[in-house]
Amino acid sequence: MTNAARLRQVWTIARLQLTRVFFSKRSFWVYLLAFFPAVIFFAHGVEVKFKRDRYTSRVTPSSVLDAIRAGDSEGDVLRQAPGPVSDERYRPRRRRRGPDAEQQRTPDRRFLAYWDGSKRWELNFEDGILQTKRARPLNDFEEDRQVYAGVFQYFYLRLAIFFGCLGIFMNLFRGEMLDKTLHFWFLIPARREVLLAGKYLAGLIAAVVIFGSGAALSFALMLWPQDPTALQTFWATDGLSHVFWYSAAAALACVGYGSVFLASGLLLRNPIIPAVTILFWESINGILPAMLQKLSVLYYVEALCPVPPPMDSNAPLLIRLLAAPAEPPTAAFAVLGLLALTALVLFVASRAVRNIEVNYGVE
Amino acid sequence: MSTPNSPIGPAAATPMSTAATAPEVLFDDVSKFYGEVLGVNRVTLRIPPGITSLVGPNGSGKTTLMNLMAGLIHPDRGVITMRGLSPRHPERLMRILGYATQYDSAPRGSTGLDFVTTGLILTGFSSAEASTRAQAALHRVRMAEASRRKVASYSKGMRQRIRLAQAIAHDPDILVLDEPLNGLDPLVRAETIALFREYAALGRHVILSSHVLQEVDIISDQVILIANGMIIAEGQIRSVREEIHQHPSQFVIRCRDASRIASLLFEHDHITQIKMQDDRLGLLVMTRNRADFSRALTRISLAGHTVESIVPADENMGALYEYLIGGDR
Repeated sequence: MTNAARLRQVWTIARLQLTRVFFSKRSFWVYLLAFFPAVIFFAHGVEVKFKRDRYTSRVTPSSVLDAIRAGDSEGDVLRQAPGPVSDERYRPRRRRRGPDAEQQRTPDRRFLAYWDGSKRWELNFEDGILQTKRARPLNDFEEDRQVYAGVFQYFYLRLAIFFGCLGIFMNLFRGEMLDKTLHFWFLIPARREVLLAGKYLAGLIAAVVIFGSGAALSFALMLWPQDPTALQTFWATDGLSHVFWYSAAAALACVGYGSVFLASGLLLRNPIIPAVTILFWESINGILPAMLQKLSVLYYVEALCPVPPPMDSNAPLLIRLLAAPAEPPTAAFAVLGLLALTALVLFVASRAVRNIEVNYGVE
Repeated sequence: MSTPNSPIGPAAATPMSTAATAPEVLFDDVSKFYGEVLGVNRVTLRIPPGITSLVGPNGSGKTTLMNLMAGLIHPDRGVITMRGLSPRHPERLMRILGYATQYDSAPRGSTGLDFVTTGLILTGFSSAEASTRAQAALHRVRMAEASRRKVASYSKGMRQRIRLAQAIAHDPDILVLDEPLNGLDPLVRAETIALFREYAALGRHVILSSHVLQEVDIISDQVILIANGMIIAEGQIRSVREEIHQHPSQFVIRCRDASRIASLLFEHDHITQIKMQDDRLGLLVMTRNRADFSRALTRISLAGHTVESIVPADENMGALYEYLIGGDR
């Protein structure tokens, strides 16, 4: 049999397997994982859009708002700027009685918000006197990008793609064993390695499509409510590069975790054991010696992410180390390293699949 | 190329089928354990082409032997050769082997036609040829009409037939069938047996397991009796029976003067028991030496006693099973 014929077999197996992977009841939750952040970003976008529409009818010129100073009374401010977009008052419910009641009483608070057409002004009053005033955009593009970076790295890479690949790739062989259908594949005239490649390809296509779509949709929804001018600047500078590297990181995470869980499904019956072990290994990756860090999928794919995730500078060193490797590799090294790691894992899987037996009685 | 109106398999041209150089199925000292549980132990077999039945009680190792032949499991020791090919090389073996297991393997929601066609596409046939072959195979097992229905809606017998259709669709040289006649109605059963005979007549292997001993009698060219993972006997039913010395051979003699012939036979030491049949025109004779019995009966005939027929009474699977394995089937 020629290699071209084997490649055709790989594609035929993948094509037939794809339906099972996409529509498996057992892995329905994978879709929930992949699209959950998109729901959050959509809700955020709707909120921003809604506020912007509401504020547009009550614009206060920025020159008026600039003229307001700390120490002004509520009455003065409302006379100068009578159209706040938001007015919230907080009164303490009960006052203490006794000699020190006056010192300990909670002041009356009032928050007024104005819209000057581009920024939201927030005025904070205590007992009728303006204490602070600050202006900020309705939503901060930079902040949203940071949030997306955090969602992508902490949620997608560490949880969603990890567990999603666990669900998809472990089922490729183990699920068929449970359904007592694995013999169908073992009775076709194909090398076991060809079968492995076909199933891996099917799992990879499914994982990349599902998680790529989830991450891309979240990204699009993060951009949706942004200011058009800021968006224009973004696309003219980093936009395409960010989309490319996020996509590459998601796809390579599927490549890496897919191979790891495919091999685990062949070597172990219980998916909990590899899941916990690998999750632990990936989590402590940041504090491992440099050599051991290279045996981690996360080590490579995090290095490809274009925006570092937000991290509180006051967070303990251990947390900061766990969240990010000490010495991230270059992009080229990350891609090649991950592909090399995947090839190694698939080689181990190909050895295992040759010896796997159909024995439904013990499942 | 097969068509729905011509029988698939034996008569069809087979571009994918390999003309094997060593047309035997060989097991050489094969053992298989499931952990500490014995599957089969030190099995040595040489199965010639034809219909071979694996017979044994539940858990005796029949399915293990079949799974070993198809490479679904691997032996812990020993070597298996299927018409010259190792089960370790499915790429070559599965072109000449069709295996109908006892488990359904159709993808959820697929129709019978989809199921058989899919197997053929994976074997390497083009979509058009796979479809033609699948329809021919379905026609052969009388499933053409139901082929557009979902496999999930099939009865037990229909599932059995769809598995058989998949096993024969690529026209293999070796058919391995786990309880293939289970759940089939008499008409389809007869047609299925005829299909096995067609295959066997062309020098192919049909290896099946069955619990229905009467059917094994009728269809088998040779039998393999297996119990507790060990081969108890193998070969043609008659030759296996001849090897069993501890049980006297039984013959039914139909004759006019049954009591006189019985008294003449009793003069020989090798006769252990004679029973007169109810109509007094027949005897059930038990002998320890078939050759001596044959000679004695010849002498009696030459002496002028009319012997209308002699039929072996225990050259069948039921008797072999009882002698070699015990009553529990």
